[in-house]
Formats: sequence, C-alpha cells, structure tokens
Amino acid sequence: MMADFFSTYGALLVTMCTAAMLALSLYLPLMAGQLSLASPAFYAIGGYIAAILSTKVFGVPAGSAFPLPLLFLEMALAGVACGLLAVLVGIPALRLRGIYLALATIALVEILRVLSLNLEITGGAVGIFGIPQPFPNTTSYLLLVIPMLILSALFVYRLEQIRIGRAFTAIREDELAADAVGIGPTRHKVMAFALGAILAGMVGAVSAHFLNTWNARQGTFDASINILAYTLIGGSRTFLGPIVGGMALTALPEILRAVAAIDGLPAWLAQFLKDGRLIIFGLLIVIGTIKFPHGLITPEFLERLRRRRKP
Amino acid sequence: MSAFLQAQHLTRRFGGLVAVNDVSFEVERGEIFGLIGPNGAGKTTLFNVMTGLAPPSAGALIFEGKSITGFAPHRVAALGIARTFQNIRLFGNLSALQNVMIAEHIHTRSGLITGILGLPPAPAEERRTRERAREMLHLVGLETRGEEKAKNFSYGDQRRLEIARALALRPRLLLLDEPAAGMNPNERNALSDFIRRIHDQFKLTVLVIEHHVPLVMGLCDRVAVLNFGQLIALGAPAQVQNNPAVIEAYLGN
Repeated sequence: MMADFFSTYGALLVTMCTAAMLALSLYLPLMAGQLSLASPAFYAIGGYIAAILSTKVFGVPAGSAFPLPLLFLEMALAGVACGLLAVLVGIPALRLRGIYLALATIALVEILRVLSLNLEITGGAVGIFGIPQPFPNTTSYLLLVIPMLILSALFVYRLEQIRIGRAFTAIREDELAADAVGIGPTRHKVMAFALGAILAGMVGAVSAHFLNTWNARQGTFDASINILAYTLIGGSRTFLGPIVGGMALTALPEILRAVAAIDGLPAWLAQFLKDGRLIIFGLLIVIGTIKFPHGLITPEFLERLRRRRKP
Repeated sequence: MSAFLQAQHLTRRFGGLVAVNDVSFEVERGEIFGLIGPNGAGKTTLFNVMTGLAPPSAGALIFEGKSITGFAPHRVAALGIARTFQNIRLFGNLSALQNVMIAEHIHTRSGLITGILGLPPAPAEERRTRERAREMLHLVGLETRGEEKAKNFSYGDQRRLEIARALALRPRLLLLDEPAAGMNPNERNALSDFIRRIHDQFKLTVLVIEHHVPLVMGLCDRVAVLNFGQLIALGAPAQVQNNPAVIEAYLGN
C-alpha cells in the first residue's frame, strides 16, 4: 500500500518539495520588500551547472550510480555561482522599486533563457540529456529534497527572528525609516536577493538530476509566474505561506486527476476536471486573491491557531 | 573647541525651488535648540538635509568636528543622530517592541550565520536587544503594550513610540519634527516635561521643530527662525520673539 503510493506519487512529492523551496527563494527577497521574479533564472543556472559538470566534467562511468558527494559539490558550486551573480545583478537592479524591479528580474530570466538556447555549452535548443542518476529511482530523491526543504524552512524561520531578518522586515515596512534607524537598505536588499538566488540555484542542481534532462524550458517567465502564485496564494508574510502554496498548487493537478477518476461522476464533470485543469487553476488564483488577499497562511491565522490550542 | 554641530551655508534645491537657502548656524553640546518658522519655510527639509535623506546641494555639515556632508541616512544614524518624522514613520505591521528592537541594529554585530545558528554573540545580543527595547517602551509609558501592532496605536502613542525608537539608537543628537502636532494643552505640557527629562537623563542635545510658540519658548535654550528657506533670526527665545523680522514673517507687514 505504502510502496504503491510512493511509486505512484514519488515524483510528485519530489516536485512539491522543490516547488516549495522555489517559493521560499522568492519569499526571501520579499522579506526585504523586494519583488523579484528571478528565481527561475537562478534555478536554470544551477541546473546547467549540475548538468554540464555531471555529463561533461566528472567522468562517471555509465551504469554506475552518480556519487552523492559530487552532487553536493555541484549544489555548492551552483549556490556560490548564483549568489555571486545575484550580488552583481542586485547592486544595480535593487535601486529599482516595485514593478520596475520585477520587470528587470524578468529581463534577467529572458536573457538567460535566450543565452542557453544559443550557447553550445548548454546544448542549444535541445539541451543536455542523460544526466546521471545518484538514486535507483525518482522516489528516492525524497531522501534528498525533504531534508533540504526542512533545512531551508528552518533557515527562513530562524531568519525571521534574528537581527538580519528584522532589518529585512524593517526595509519591507518602510525603507526610509529603516535607513533613518541605521539599517543600510542596499546591503540588506542585496543580501536577501542573493539568499533567494543561492536557494534557487541549489534546487536547480538537484532538479537537473531528478529530471534527467535540462534545457531552456526550465527557466521561463511562466515559471516566474507560477512561483509568484505559490507565494501569493500560500501567503507572503510568513515562511509557511510559500511552502504550503508551493506544495498545494503543485499537487492540485494530480488531485484533480484523482478526483476525476472517482466512479460515478458524470462524464462531463470528469472530463472537465481532467482537461480543464488550467481553468480551475486560474479560477482558484482569482478566488484566492479576492477571498484571501494576504494568502492562505497569514501571521494572524497562525496566531489564532495558537490561541485555540491553549485557551 | 569647535561646536557640537555646525551647519555651514547649507542649501537644498528641488528643481528651481530653493527650499533651504544658505543656512548657517551652530548647535552647542547639551542645548535644546528650537527651529521655528511659518509653513513651508524649509524646516523639515533642513532636518532631511541634516539626516542624509535629502543631501545638501551646497554647503557643509560638521558633527563633532567631522564632516558628515552627503552621508547616507544609516551612516548619520550610526554616528549618533536620531530623528522622528513629522508624519510619523513607524513599521506599522510590526509590534511596538519590534519597532524599538529594530533600532538596536547599529549596536549589535551578529551576522547571518551566527544569528541563524544561535552562536555567540547572537543569543546574548538578542536578549540584550529585547531588554533594551522594553526599557525604552517603559520610558515612554508603553511597556504594557509591547505586543500590539504599531498601526493600531493612537496618534499620541505613535509619537511616543517613535521617540522610543529614536532613543533606542542611543543618540547624542535627537531631532524631533513637530512632536506636539495634534496634541492638546495637557499632552503638550507633558511632552515638554518629557523632552526635558530625556535631555537630562541621556545627556542629549535636542533640535526641535515646533509650531506651538509657547512650547518652544518655554523649552528651548536658543531658537532659530526660518522663512522662505533663509535663517532670519537666531538667539534666546525672548530675543527672537521681539525681532521685527520674525514678527513680520509670522504676521505679515
């Protein structure tokens, strides 16, 4: 029973975890009030680093499992490269505010997508195939992504309670007032942006192995919007919001498919649930933003839960 | 010995408008210095110039013998100059305690890694930050309301919270921009006493913009008067009050 569940839904569970982490990578700059849609760009870079290193640099014999230490090395390199790029891009880009920063980060995503379509090292439009597998099956990736998700969630949870996190929050609330109480906005905005980039890059490195192939479709504007939806619908004021949003919205199509398969449903409804997934997705986003403008999980919601538990 | 704070020919233009025009004055250590003038005289702009929010177009600013001309606001704050805002700028969605804790930033050092992992000096700093913030709230009489969101506070309490946040910087120079705006006479008297009390307790030098003339006259050691961006009078309150140029600026001729 359990084995069945994992073999059916293992890959989905892995994707839910990576989606949650990508949502966190968007949440990090948002903590400092910066709406960045650049996560897919760093995710793509991380993936290409892993794909190129594992297929072209590390000579791992075909048929044998890809060594985990090498995967960790790829993740570390992806994190470092994305962090450095984020600092370089962030210093000029974070002078922009609100919608202009979002546009600049979309431009970054597009530039990298076009580059990867046209460069030889990224395999052009075809991409990179046959990325070696560290695990015997996709479900086993859970052993890697679940600890990663827990660690990144703990990181952000702690960050919300410490000096640096308070500085981020102060900038989000009122950048000018934060500046006037001694918090340098640029330094902290770049830091928040780079932290998100590092996380997205590391997730990309793992995803490249998980997906077995990597190409320019991994880092697109569509992905930017999806990740934004995870965070906005889940809730953008506590770290639990993006995690819940990323997991729920990734699972939603599969849940709809499962519901459609229930016996006794009228044929048209089953058909709609199966084929109208995008419509349902869109409707949920519209209803979600109207009914829960601050997302499903808000600090106030968590506070109510806490009170109910100990009256 | 040079003055505590020297403003030398400070000028600030916005396009064609000269909001602050060639203003020079000196503030002595420990005095309470008033800044008055009709609406639009450039008082708040002068505060913005002094705190780095609107760098001067010309002129220099010397604090304790060192030039701070053109410094970014956070560097000015780190040197010990704190301010409040005319239109109150609190972190509205955060609790009162968090508002004040944020201002401990410049007095703590723990970074990302030590903070996340709870390594020294982070835990001790966190404790101290919280304690100090509580003390500041106590000082302004908001100690029981630390967990409430700043935006839910009444106008007067928001002003007090903003002063607590400014004091948490442990400044040597405190700039108050219309602290008594919207207060009734009783509250104004209490505020006047409060400013004098923190002035004595923290050995502060205070610069205060205020519209209410009796409050300024009772509180300040010296008063500067701005009109159309220019300094038109400077001296002891009684002296300034009888200055013909000041009377003309306020009443017209």
